[in-house]
Amino acid sequence: MSHDEIDRILSREEEILPSSGFAASVMDAIHREAAVPPPIPFPWRRAWPLLAAAGAALVLVVVVLVVGITQLGREGAGSLSAGEWMTTHLPFVNAAVISAAGWVILALALTFASVALSLRLASGRA
Amino acid sequence: MSSSDDQADVEKVLAGDVSAYEGIVRRWQGPLINLAYRFCHDRGRAEEMAQEAFLRAYRALGQWRKDAVFSTWLFALATNLYRSELRRIPSSTVPLDDVAEPRDPRAADGGLEASDRDRAVRRAVLALPAKYREALILFYFHDLDVPAAAESLGLPEGTVKARLFRGRELLRRKLPEVLAVPRLKEA
Repeated sequence: MSHDEIDRILSREEEILPSSGFAASVMDAIHREAAVPPPIPFPWRRAWPLLAAAGAALVLVVVVLVVGITQLGREGAGSLSAGEWMTTHLPFVNAAVISAAGWVILALALTFASVALSLRLASGRA
Repeated sequence: MSSSDDQADVEKVLAGDVSAYEGIVRRWQGPLINLAYRFCHDRGRAEEMAQEAFLRAYRALGQWRKDAVFSTWLFALATNLYRSELRRIPSSTVPLDDVAEPRDPRAADGGLEASDRDRAVRRAVLALPAKYREALILFYFHDLDVPAAAESLGLPEGTVKARLFRGRELLRRKLPEVLAVPRLKEA
């Protein structure tokens, strides 16, 4: 069978007519939609200083970590562990902070994994 | 169907006259329902999907750029919705390998009637992988117009042509029993 014959068959698809109340039903839904007040816009003007501060803090943490890892590499792997190096060189870092950071990283990883998994399931690609 | 009617109605709706949207609904209800029907072959679901398409079009009316024909924009929006709806909840189809199995006992010793054969081909289209199925549905819906199908799908024409060719090849290979039967009933 040729593509032309497939074309011929599929071009003759039956046409259906809308049911009598279809347009009225759509317009009811449209009027309901129009009656709903518009959503409150996100307050970007108020939020952006906080977002900017959070972004700057994140950048600072990344820079500190990168600098720390670089120096740790220069000092040699055997001399100090990462935790020891940080408590030595970064005065605000103590054992409790390192422990909390570990939990935060674990929580972020779990959050990322669960979001990725749920998106994958929702999009039907699992 | 005049595109100036669409434009006039859109301007009225955007100016606050919600009732003017009824003109758009009445002009395009048939095409939108029929397009949805080709995706799912279920009348009730086709109307539900078309209603949702009209609602989404209403919400997005301000985003229609008047350099494109309104119907092109509307079909692209509806196609996008139908594709995602069908991927979320697929229509009940049989696997492509099973489509060629004749349901009609006459097929074993004679042949299928033309209408049965046509139905089998249409069922086979719904059983194709989504990218080929969507290209075929849009191509035949737009009366074999590749550029229109490409616009509705938001894909380059070359991609649509390739998918059409591949989709028809899959159909041709998977349907030998159905397509090769002698057409005695048509004679």
